[in-house]
Amino acid sequence: MWLSSGFIFRKGTSRYHKLDPRVKLLISALMFVTTLIVRSVFQLAIVLVFMVAVAAVATVLKRVARTMALTATFSAFIFVINIVFTRNLETSALYASRFVAIVVSTSLFFITTSPDELEQVMKMFRLPRDVVFAFVTAVRFIPVMMLDALQIMDAQKSRGLELEKGNLLRRVRNMIPILIPLVVNAVVRSGELAEAMESRAYGAVARPTSLMEYRARAGDRAVAVFAIVTFAFAAYSFYFLLPTFMP
Amino acid sequence: MIEFREVTYVHENGVRALDGITLKIDTGETVAIVGENGAGKTTLIKHVTGLLKPTSGAVLVDGIDTRQTSTAALSRRVGIAFQNPDHQLFSESVKEEIAFALRNFGFPPSLVEQRVSWGLQLFGLEEYRESSPLVLSGGEKKRLTLACILAWDPEVVMLDEPTVGQDAIQKEKLAGTIRMLGSTGKTVVVVSHDIEFLWPLQSRVVVMKSGRIVADGPAPEVMTQKEMLESARVAEPQLVSFYQALVRRPRSPFVDALEARLWIEGDKAADSGRPAVT
Repeated sequence: MWLSSGFIFRKGTSRYHKLDPRVKLLISALMFVTTLIVRSVFQLAIVLVFMVAVAAVATVLKRVARTMALTATFSAFIFVINIVFTRNLETSALYASRFVAIVVSTSLFFITTSPDELEQVMKMFRLPRDVVFAFVTAVRFIPVMMLDALQIMDAQKSRGLELEKGNLLRRVRNMIPILIPLVVNAVVRSGELAEAMESRAYGAVARPTSLMEYRARAGDRAVAVFAIVTFAFAAYSFYFLLPTFMP
Repeated sequence: MIEFREVTYVHENGVRALDGITLKIDTGETVAIVGENGAGKTTLIKHVTGLLKPTSGAVLVDGIDTRQTSTAALSRRVGIAFQNPDHQLFSESVKEEIAFALRNFGFPPSLVEQRVSWGLQLFGLEEYRESSPLVLSGGEKKRLTLACILAWDPEVVMLDEPTVGQDAIQKEKLAGTIRMLGSTGKTVVVVSHDIEFLWPLQSRVVVMKSGRIVADGPAPEVMTQKEMLESARVAEPQLVSFYQALVRRPRSPFVDALEARLWIEGDKAADSGRPAVT
């Protein structure tokens, strides 16, 4: 569910969706870096507000809000661990909320970028073709595997399996009837996919042509420049203008 | 008895999979549910074991509201064999696979052994007793899933596309098993696209389209409504087409396909448990 809400692409018609995927990657990367350079919770809150604004423009606000809510559990865990070891409320809060911000920044890229666009971006970075194909296929198959997992859970529950029953060890053991069919299906499917790809001449030529060629438009360039300027301004402000509240 | 009372089910993405379904299936009845892909057939049967809870309305199994009880409790009464056998097989051996549900339901070991042997024998899987279920062929896996369900002797048996991957002989055996279950008082619900498989069962047929029931009645009545079947994207059985062709012949003595069927099949049609001509 967390994965579905936060990282799986769904078609959208917003201007953000239509941006060049490289620009979307740039925006997410800058937001990611910004979350790492902030020095206080206050600064991070500003970054998060900016991310929410981007999500609103991309009309994925609900999904991002859901991702943030689902990430809160992990975030709370990080907070507790840090409180135990550092005994510093500010630092613990910063690390916990930084985790939420990192997830949102990457999530914004994945939920607005189709696997095809992702493939093109990776190719532009001249990554090996097989690596690109494997990565993009994995991304494409996440929803399929999630559907598989749900169907397997239904099938096993209808045979009397109670996933929520018993202590922790028992619950882990209860996952075996779910995980084995899931893994076996994934392996079988990957074998079938490999055969299907080979039968459609995958790897026959060293440099295959591409159906889509991305050329950044003026609007894309303008957004990229705006993102870089905003990032530069934010970095400068965080270090020289805004209070840090750090000890 | 299974009862759907004005059941509506809306998926998370807003798709209305069931739209005001009202349906009663009596104990011991055999019912075939047909309809195009996405008509809501599988969603409908998942409500019977509480795997899905209605968005509005209620589903009652022997008077028990599925919203008030767990899937595990309902599964003891209702067994579903799902469409894809690969979604449930995981054990080290075929016999362990059949024993899985029996152990979950707390059957004593001696009875588990007895029911496993019965299931293996019924579906011709004895030779694979110690084999891994993952190495079986598609048809054998399908039969194994049926054996897994029937082993715990549920009162209601629901089969989702049971003929997928089965050869003609196995289909005949499966039809025999369904008749046998019906004759022993079990409620059997078969969801299938395989009209040629369903026609000889001569059961009650429910036709679904876009989450609604568009026809419900004895097979001879429902399966001869060509326009309705076409609108639900269900093919007419070949035998019915043959009867229709007989009716269309010059100087045909038959008024309609049902009369032609009665003339050809004679007592068999008349004794099918429901009147062939109404």
